[in-house]
Amino acid sequence: MKDNKKEIRDDEFRVIGKADGRTDGEARRRNRLIGAVSLALVLLIGLFFMLRWPKGPAEEPEGGVFDPAPVPVQAPGDTLPLGHPAEGTFTERVDTVINDVHLALFIPHNAVPELTLGVPSGEGIILTAQAADVKAEDHKILGAFVLKGKPLAWGLSKKGYCAIIDGKITVGTSENSPLFEEATEKEGYFFRQYPLVDKGVLVENEHKNKTMRKGLCCRAGQVFVAVSMTDESFHDFSQALVDLGVEDAVYLVGGHRSGGWWTGEDGATRTFDPEARSGTYANETYIIWK
Amino acid sequence: MPQNLTGRVRHIVISKGTEMLRIPTHALVFIEADGNYSNVYTLDGKSQMVSFQLGQLEDRIGDQLGEDGSRFIRLGRGYIINMDYVHLIDISRKRLVLSDCMNFYRELEPSREVLVKLKAYLDARIEDERQ
Repeated sequence: MKDNKKEIRDDEFRVIGKADGRTDGEARRRNRLIGAVSLALVLLIGLFFMLRWPKGPAEEPEGGVFDPAPVPVQAPGDTLPLGHPAEGTFTERVDTVINDVHLALFIPHNAVPELTLGVPSGEGIILTAQAADVKAEDHKILGAFVLKGKPLAWGLSKKGYCAIIDGKITVGTSENSPLFEEATEKEGYFFRQYPLVDKGVLVENEHKNKTMRKGLCCRAGQVFVAVSMTDESFHDFSQALVDLGVEDAVYLVGGHRSGGWWTGEDGATRTFDPEARSGTYANETYIIWK
Repeated sequence: MPQNLTGRVRHIVISKGTEMLRIPTHALVFIEADGNYSNVYTLDGKSQMVSFQLGQLEDRIGDQLGEDGSRFIRLGRGYIINMDYVHLIDISRKRLVLSDCMNFYRELEPSREVLVKLKAYLDARIEDERQ
C-alpha cells in the first residue's frame, strides 16, 4: 500500500481515474504556469520584432470604399457594465465564479433605492436586503442611521457607509462623512456597515468565520447587491469583489437567515436563501429598490 | 455494466490480512471516511466498514481501474463518490443526493465549494459529450 500522499482540502475535489491525478488546485497552478510561460514567450517575440523593425515614417494609407467604419475601442482600464440594458423595472441576476467564490450579482434596473425600518412591504419592490446591523441585546440600530432625513441612530460603529441622496447611492469608507448631514437636510438615507472595498482596495475585517456574505457594490457607475452562494470569509468575499472590478463596497447583513428577496424579469419573487427570515427584530433595516 | 476487454465485469478489490472485499465497479456508490476507517456503500443499500483510510482507497481505485476510475470522484476529505449516481446537487442547501432512482437513495453533505466544483465538472462533461 502506498503512503497516503494525496493531501486534499475539504473544498477540493478530484477525479480519481485522471491520468495525471492532479487536484483542481494543482491543475490551476499548472495552468497558471503554462499561461505565464506562454505570455513571456509572446512578449519576447514582440520585443524581438520591435527592435528589428525599421522605424521609418509610416505612409498614410488612402481611404478606400471598403475602409472599415471606425469602431469605438474600449480603452484599457475601462470597465464594461454588468448585465444587460433593460427597459422594465426588475432585478437581473448574474452569476459568476471568481477565485472559487460563487457570486450572484443582483442588478436593479430602472428602480430607485431607499431605506426602510422594519420589513418592507407594498408593491413595486424589486430588490431588498437587510442593511444596518441591529444589536442583539437591545435591538438598537448599530451606527448612524438616517431615514428619509430623520436621524434615528448616531455613532461610528463601522467605517463603511451608504448614503442615498436624491435617489443616488454613494458607498464609501470614512469615519466622518458629510453625507450624513446632507442626508438629513435633503430627506435622504444613510447607514453604516463594515467596509469591504475602498477605492478598489480590499479592506480587512476581523471576523474570520465563513457564511453567506452580502455586499452593496459600486462598479463602473453601477450599483448592485453581491451575494456569495458559498460560505465565505470576509477576506475571500472582499477579494472576489476586488477581482470583479468593484470600486467601493460595504457589507449588508449576511448569513443564511438574513432577510432579503428579489423580483426577476419573469415577475417571480425569490429569497436569497431558502432559510432567510425577515422580521426577527423590530428594528431591522432594509435597503430596497422600487 | 462496465466490462473489460474479455467481457468480464470489472471489480474493485479491497484486500487486507484475512479479508477480501470485491465489488463490481458499477455497484460501488460511494465511500465515506470514518477516521482511520472507511464505510463502503453499495447499490444493494448495504455498507461495509474497511480498515483503510479514504486516501488509501483512492489509491487502490486509481491503481486498479486506471483511467476507467474516472467515474469516481474524491470530494474533499469526506467522500469518494461514483458520479453515475449523482442524482441531485443543491448548492444553496448544501445537499448532494446519490441515487439510482430505484433502490438506493442517500443524502450527503459535502462543502458548498465542492458542490460548486462538482456541478461545474458535470456540466462541462455534458458539454463535452455534446461536441
